[in-house]
Amino acid sequence: MTVQTVPMLDETPVGDALLRRIERFYYREARLLDREAYADWLTLLDPGIRYWMPAMETRKRGDQRGPWTDGEMSYFDDDFAMLKVRVARYEQPSAWADNPATRHLHIVTNIEAIETGTPGLVRAFSCFENVRNRNEKDQDVIHGRREDLLKLDGDRITLAERRILIVQNILLSKNLNTFF
Amino acid sequence: MCDAKARPDMRPVYPKAGSYPDFADLVDDSRAQVDRRVFIDRAIYEAELRQIFGRAWLFLAHESQIPNPGDFVRTYMGEDDVIVVRQRNGRIGAYLNSCPHRGNRVCMVDSGKKARGFICNYHGWSFGIDGRLNGTDGKVYDKDPGFEKSAIGLTPVAQVASYKGLVFGTFDPEAPSLEDYFGPFTWYLDVMLDNDEGGTEFIGGCVKSTVECNWKFPAENFVGDILHAFWTHQSGAEAILGGAVDLGSRYDERAFQASVYGHGIETNLDKVGNTRTLGFPELNDYVLGRYEAVKARLGEVRARMVGAVSSCTVFPNFSFLPGQATFRVWHPKGPDRIDLYTWTLVNKNMPERIKELYRKGTMITFSPGGVFEMDDGENWEYCTKANQGWVTRHQKLHYGLGQDSAWSESDLPGHIHRGSLNDANQRQFYKRWAEFMRFDSWGDLQRAETAPPAKPLPQAAE
Repeated sequence: MTVQTVPMLDETPVGDALLRRIERFYYREARLLDREAYADWLTLLDPGIRYWMPAMETRKRGDQRGPWTDGEMSYFDDDFAMLKVRVARYEQPSAWADNPATRHLHIVTNIEAIETGTPGLVRAFSCFENVRNRNEKDQDVIHGRREDLLKLDGDRITLAERRILIVQNILLSKNLNTFF
Repeated sequence: MCDAKARPDMRPVYPKAGSYPDFADLVDDSRAQVDRRVFIDRAIYEAELRQIFGRAWLFLAHESQIPNPGDFVRTYMGEDDVIVVRQRNGRIGAYLNSCPHRGNRVCMVDSGKKARGFICNYHGWSFGIDGRLNGTDGKVYDKDPGFEKSAIGLTPVAQVASYKGLVFGTFDPEAPSLEDYFGPFTWYLDVMLDNDEGGTEFIGGCVKSTVECNWKFPAENFVGDILHAFWTHQSGAEAILGGAVDLGSRYDERAFQASVYGHGIETNLDKVGNTRTLGFPELNDYVLGRYEAVKARLGEVRARMVGAVSSCTVFPNFSFLPGQATFRVWHPKGPDRIDLYTWTLVNKNMPERIKELYRKGTMITFSPGGVFEMDDGENWEYCTKANQGWVTRHQKLHYGLGQDSAWSESDLPGHIHRGSLNDANQRQFYKRWAEFMRFDSWGDLQRAETAPPAKPLPQAAE
């Protein structure tokens, strides 16, 4: 399963009822991340997940590599076990970059969902604004786009794959002590 | 009146170093103290750009990033924007990324393949990959008798040289050779760069981030501060290893710090202590499986350093962690800001699967989202910010751990200190910093106290 670039003309949007469910899924996910409820967040993920956030390079238009490429340097390129490792760090009182707690806000917007042709699998696109503020006035804001593959199983939606494309070339913050 | 025949003098200008004895005195080696002003003061920072970044050999690229003529990467030397580009004859050149006409950048991208040249967006001045001016938009200068094209080009970095795949440059035409700049420290660099006959390469791409700290805090951290791991990295170690950082009861027996000209490495001899923190048992097995081969190549001491708990800084701002394979540059962006460039270095001959584990391993440990690095940035930012206080900045900082740890009878190259839980290499780093402030000649710099004590290099397979 890989997220492919969808040809614009072939897009078949999912029905309104499913789109509404997917929106609820994303808003709940954002709320869990804002509350640092990472153990709960993990339950939204498929055990076979690929969670990938490539580093963005500034390249000329027409450069065959493009701004990011598979198998190269990334901020995240995690399977489920690696995500659990990251969550395990957050759970330590000695996670100093999160103690005192960081104040998180995840805004999710531009939600679209498209049929894949495979029953039970939907492509979904969204944009996010992520604000982190901590201590007196340390503030980091990151904007980006998420390209997801969602798995539908009855009433349940899980995240099977996520590609996170941020707009920053040099990350304008010292760390990424959050998920997207 | 202007002489109609006078032509602009477009020869490269490499500003000369001076000396700043007052700044050099801010490092008090006899009391093992460093004045906090070196981390916040704009005048001292400007002196660093001239005395250190204007003269020292600085890391530019790995040769594997630019295998073919015209392949290039853009980087910085101090705050100077530089293009590093493979020439048609296979050599590597480096040039200021600034058009000599009005100063605009001629290269806006991070890297690229097989470029034929660089063109300024402003007036279309175009330059070859050798920096020479090829032409100007509209050929208006062709009819201008006062214009001498051959005398104009991108300013070349004065010297560019490679050491086992790593490319460095210096703006100082008088600087000693790269090998002389390293001195016997190459013996330690070879732990990473020469532990396999096929040589090394960077995994593609580069993670870049910003930290609001003075560049010397991360540099001194990597030059010798394993002590912080116990406290700073408790949470990361708990997450990956399932327990707090264990620096080991035998840590002092099998660990040491080595320093030459301010370059320093601190290392245990525990074989895979740091590789273990990447969290992939398969990787530990791989490194342990190569132990005998590395021992035959580099000798026992260095074979035990390959994946060990260890860190290294090449003076002034190039650092790496041998066990985690993360390589980085701390580019200064003012006294209180750096841009951090992060790569993963692997042996070319490693199986693809192992390279992939190193890529993922460096990402989950030492990149902005890494379970270790996250907490480092927080420390370095507040080390810098807290020193702004007027009263605060007048109390010097303590670098006094392990002052009696010198191991002068050791036959390892450089200044050797027993155990690595001490500030020895950090003292050497700041001593070198002070030498760069104090001395305006390389003769004085290379004979100064941080120069290596005379002793023969140990044989490879001792």
